[in-house]
Amino acid sequence: MSKNSFFLARMLMWSLLRRRSRLLIALLGVTIGATVLFSLVTLCYDIPRQLSREFRSYGANLVFVKAGGVGRMSLAELNQAAALLPAEQLVGLTPLRYESVRNHMLPYTAVGVDFEEARKTSPYWRVEGVWPARSGEMLAGSDVAEKIRLTPGQSLTLDGRNEAQERYDKEFKVTGIVSTGGVEDGFMVISLSDMEEMTGEADRLDLAEASLTSNSAALSEISAQVKARFPGLEARPVTRVASSEETVLSKLTALVYLVSLVVLSLTMICVATTMMTVVLERRREIGLKKALGAENRRVAREFLAEGLILGVLGGFLGSVCGLFLAGAVSASVFGRALTPEPQLAPITIAVSAVVTIVACLAPVRRAVDVEPALVLRGE
Amino acid sequence: MFWKMVAGALRRQKGKHVMIAFTVGLGVSLATAMLGVMFDIGDKVNQELKAYGANLNVIPRGASLLGDKYQLAGDDGGEAAEEVLAANYIREDELYKIKMIFWAYNIVDFSPYLTARVKVGNEEINLVGAWFNKHLSLPTGDEVDTGMASMKSWWKIEGQPVDEAFPDGVMVGRNLAGKLKLAPGSTFEAAAADSGLVKTLTVRSVFSSGGEEDDEIFAPLALAQELAGKPGLVQRVEVSALTTPENDLARKAAQNPDHLSRQEWDTWYCTAYISSIAYQIEEIMPGVRVKPVMRVAESEGTILHKTQLMIVLLTILTLLCSALAISNLVTANIMERSVEIGLMKALGATNLSVSLLVLTEMLIVAFMGGVCGYLAGLGLARFIGLAVFGTSVEVKTVVIPITVLMILAVTLLGSLPSLRSILHLRPTEVLHGR
Amino acid sequence: MSESARNILEITDVSKIYGPLKALETINLTVPPGQWLAIMGPSGSGKTTLMNIIGCLDTASEGAVRLDGLNLAQLTRAELTGIRREAIGLIFQQFHLISYLTALENVMVAQFYHSMVDEGEALAALERVGLADRAKHLPRQLSGGEQQRVCIARALINHPKIILADEPTGNLDEANESLVMDILHNLHQAGSTIVVVTHAPEVAAHAERVIVLEHGRVVSDK
Repeated sequence: MSKNSFFLARMLMWSLLRRRSRLLIALLGVTIGATVLFSLVTLCYDIPRQLSREFRSYGANLVFVKAGGVGRMSLAELNQAAALLPAEQLVGLTPLRYESVRNHMLPYTAVGVDFEEARKTSPYWRVEGVWPARSGEMLAGSDVAEKIRLTPGQSLTLDGRNEAQERYDKEFKVTGIVSTGGVEDGFMVISLSDMEEMTGEADRLDLAEASLTSNSAALSEISAQVKARFPGLEARPVTRVASSEETVLSKLTALVYLVSLVVLSLTMICVATTMMTVVLERRREIGLKKALGAENRRVAREFLAEGLILGVLGGFLGSVCGLFLAGAVSASVFGRALTPEPQLAPITIAVSAVVTIVACLAPVRRAVDVEPALVLRGE
Repeated sequence: MFWKMVAGALRRQKGKHVMIAFTVGLGVSLATAMLGVMFDIGDKVNQELKAYGANLNVIPRGASLLGDKYQLAGDDGGEAAEEVLAANYIREDELYKIKMIFWAYNIVDFSPYLTARVKVGNEEINLVGAWFNKHLSLPTGDEVDTGMASMKSWWKIEGQPVDEAFPDGVMVGRNLAGKLKLAPGSTFEAAAADSGLVKTLTVRSVFSSGGEEDDEIFAPLALAQELAGKPGLVQRVEVSALTTPENDLARKAAQNPDHLSRQEWDTWYCTAYISSIAYQIEEIMPGVRVKPVMRVAESEGTILHKTQLMIVLLTILTLLCSALAISNLVTANIMERSVEIGLMKALGATNLSVSLLVLTEMLIVAFMGGVCGYLAGLGLARFIGLAVFGTSVEVKTVVIPITVLMILAVTLLGSLPSLRSILHLRPTEVLHGR
Repeated sequence: MSESARNILEITDVSKIYGPLKALETINLTVPPGQWLAIMGPSGSGKTTLMNIIGCLDTASEGAVRLDGLNLAQLTRAELTGIRREAIGLIFQQFHLISYLTALENVMVAQFYHSMVDEGEALAALERVGLADRAKHLPRQLSGGEQQRVCIARALINHPKIILADEPTGNLDEANESLVMDILHNLHQAGSTIVVVTHAPEVAAHAERVIVLEHGRVVSDK
């Protein structure tokens, strides 16, 4: 029997290698199908994650304040609570401190932030000029800037009194004008460390904004945990951001899933039709083998083996191409590298093998059922 | 269905043609649906993103410093502006003009706000007047219904909606309702803080917004004007508009439209950028300042752009895929008919006439498949729209020429390799069984 | 019974009906072992139908066909496939070689479906038809005559009881025709039973016995 198996392998090999152009057509079909399959499934896996990151441009979706919203918290307190946030979903965490300050006798609100983190939690801030990079630099809200005719590069002095009623003042250089269409337009934005240095009072935070890629259920969960473990603090989900994101994100994800499903099923049908044509072309060969005395099952099995080889080979090539395609799509759409999902490769190979075999099955059966005399006589 | 069609195709003599038509149909239906979705996705997603609320704030010019005081927790910088506010209002009877700008149809909803300080028991509370279900008749003859409800989609409301038809019906924030022990249906007395005017109000609903508003009362605008003693005036207007994602031109214009060149200015003015809509509202309503809410505007742009890009990529992928499948089948079909073609050549047909014959035949088959595919694609697009957005996706007419071009290109390109083989075919070889 | 054991092929009252058309009408024919029989007739006379029935590629509508004592009418399709494998060697006008296999491999395909491949034996069969040096060539690299000889080698490889040739020289020129006829002569001399279907009298002339079909009936037998 081993000699025969060897001959079978030889026949299959030549059938694939010597009919190169036809093989290429079939292989191309299967490979494209597998590529689409692999990249779409990878993307579907990744898209909710990626989109969820995009949605972080709406800003913070969880706000930490002192319980009841009254009083100030310490950095240590905040850091303890922030340890509850899932690190891989945390986009940014900005502590904020507000102080009433004056400039030329006019009152303003100064807000102390960590600029690095603020850029992450509030990516929608539009800054004309540059972001402050070192101590003594600040951003001015657009309304403030308009009122007192500030332009980037100018300096101004802020003064005020701290809790101990001691006077303080400090000179700042305006590096940029921030406009958000929100409250920030009326603020003087300085760095938290400058504010602590200026007032001589450290470790007083009014609130902290966190931006997380978690869904609103997870946010409520975090909120509940904070409440249970740190009774002095409160983590409020920003309903407006969280619930709107839920609505929109679920629709976008559904859209991508649905479109992918449609594309996938049609691609598989295309693979199937290609395979069918390939098999149909070889009806005469099937007839001949039958005339030589081959049983139906044996002929069918040979063709299915060929389909299997094509399917596995196409699936493999498709997985490789698909990885690149998905990577390219992810890079061009989201500007971020894709997390590869290697476990999808065997699935892709299996699916394309099954699709190819199933696609071969019907025409092979049909061809095998035809009396060989009918096929061999004519033409 | 698919297997039935395939079985039918195999059984019939014209099986191959049916298969080609079928594949073309599949490709075209997919392309139609995807192109349809692609052209419509912007509007659809934009509509969805309205869930984030207003993207434009209209305020009196003098009140700019206040920003949107009532928007975010942690705002305590408003005392000084109180006096500025008092001097500056927008006239309610001018608001219809918002619906008459160049991009009027992109204005989805808008609502004015006026805050009155009232006393309920010993508590001093904000009573915010707004439009809920306001009907406007424009001078252009258009009728508009607008209000704040759809702009605050994240609010959870229990009870009957507030309506202009019930002038004393209000909705109460959750926190406040808890404090005052109010529930839908109960009544309470509110006295204006300034004039002492007392009104008996009915609670129509209790709402929760997750923000500052949970400590406020929302009422029809007329009631707030009466309590505040500011008849016919509003403090600010929130506008929700469909916008084109921001790009460099829009950012440049946002800083100062006067810095644009004439041509840039025209492009900018005639595109629904948030900044151009803001500019047009300022144009038509002197004395107001329109501030885009950056968090909404910027994010809309990003998300819209990404989604669109993704769908475009998927569409291209789909088109390539179906193009290859179709060309595969066409090639296979023509190669198989080498004997027939050899015979025609032996009978004296020129390469040109054989090629034309084959091409015409393929095009007819492809065209029939394409028509069926187009119709199926319309259905598919509708299905996707209904399933995802709850509204049907309208396939734009521009899809038809694209589809026709695609069928032509794919069929012609798909036939090319096989046509080449026709040209090289020598009749004697084929007819003598090789 | 003893008489039927002597005849390799015994056809009694066989008819083949396709709808309203009677392709064969009550054919009677016996072929003893070692005979070379030619079946002649114009197009549409039913000679190919008769050959298909003998070759187990088709079944008779009526009547009995005994091949080596077995009644084909009583066999299932699977069993007919078995007979085809064991007892019949087929030669076609269009050769029907598998295009992606070499001459040698094409012969081995018949072994593969019969029992066990044996390259040496296959090479010997090619040598018998004078093609040992062309064993590694693909069909498209072979001339028509060479292809037909590969086809003959494939037909004999399993030592069939009967060799059926359908217009074996229909696609060949005169030189190749005589080559093929020589091979058939050699086979006949070696004791093979041969049935050739042809419309060419010069091909039929090589046979010991010629029957002529017209409109599905035997009109002459000599």
